[in-house]
Amino acid sequence: MKKITYIGFILLFIFFSNNNAQTDIGKNQKIKIEVEGLSCPFCAYGLEKKLKKLDNIKNMEIDFKKGIVFLTIQDSKKISDEQLKQAVINSGFTPKKIIRD
Amino acid sequence: MFAQGPPIFTDSPILLGLDGGGIRTFGKYSSKEKRSTFIQVVAVPYNLTSDLQIGIVQPFVIQFSGKKKNNIGLGNITFFVKHLVYKFDGIGKTFRNVLKFKQSITYSNNNVGAGFNVSHLEFVTGYITTKFGLYSSVGYVYVPDGLPDKLSYSLSFGYPLLPQKYPPYQINLFGEFTGEHTFTLKNELIFISTGIQFITASTFLIETGLQIPLINKINTLKYTALLGIRYLIF
Repeated sequence: MKKITYIGFILLFIFFSNNNAQTDIGKNQKIKIEVEGLSCPFCAYGLEKKLKKLDNIKNMEIDFKKGIVFLTIQDSKKISDEQLKQAVINSGFTPKKIIRD
Repeated sequence: MFAQGPPIFTDSPILLGLDGGGIRTFGKYSSKEKRSTFIQVVAVPYNLTSDLQIGIVQPFVIQFSGKKKNNIGLGNITFFVKHLVYKFDGIGKTFRNVLKFKQSITYSNNNVGAGFNVSHLEFVTGYITTKFGLYSSVGYVYVPDGLPDKLSYSLSFGYPLLPQKYPPYQINLFGEFTGEHTFTLKNELIFISTGIQFITASTFLIETGLQIPLINKINTLKYTALLGIRYLIF
């Protein structure tokens, strides 16, 4: 009986964890920023540093060749296009399009 | 897909963004006919805005004097300001012009510094793409106390060897020309140099280079070897 209770608790835990994770993923929004001027690794570090100072950035990837920064944001409403553009300008580059999924 | 780092003997017009800064240190051994020197340089730049950088450079000098006692001490301290005057950005490329002013100040009672203050106004240009980097500079060096002024110039080409990824792992090769024309004496001093740079993280690189005189009328310098690191702090 104890074993069944333990297994029941574990299954419930897994179910709720998974459910919460799905809710979190649902909240995440992906943003693509087209950036001009990215041409060296140290440049990209400057950009990464500035963007990561913004709240709610969960993940960031930079594609040099296409000049695109991929951001995953926990709650996209809290970061405006203007904030994103300003972060790019402050890091010394030229922001172009901002595309939100 | 490639990207490459700043040149070794030539300046770069790339600033690192608002509040950005780092530290660069390198050891430079110069072999001369009579007296060789080793200089350990520490440079700290800091960006006040995305187009204005200030910085300080302090060399520590050892002059080898053969059988006599070596001279050891601080070389001239240099303060500099860099201002981005023009920028044209494209996808994976940028063209930039920077105006740079350097002022070196000699320490009194110092036997290893230049012995006089030097002012240097320089125009630095760079066309940097993800496939190569082309850098150049031209400047005027004002030397007081009736000593002749100089015209400085440099040209550098950088080429990355490995595919790009971020955080980076990259090897860059550099070929560079640096030179100066001394007015009044009409002396020309031109160096050719080659260097290699390893970028092992988004904030760290190690570099080494060898510089030899190509045209050298009155200077006794035989070669200069450099080994250094750069680390982004801020």
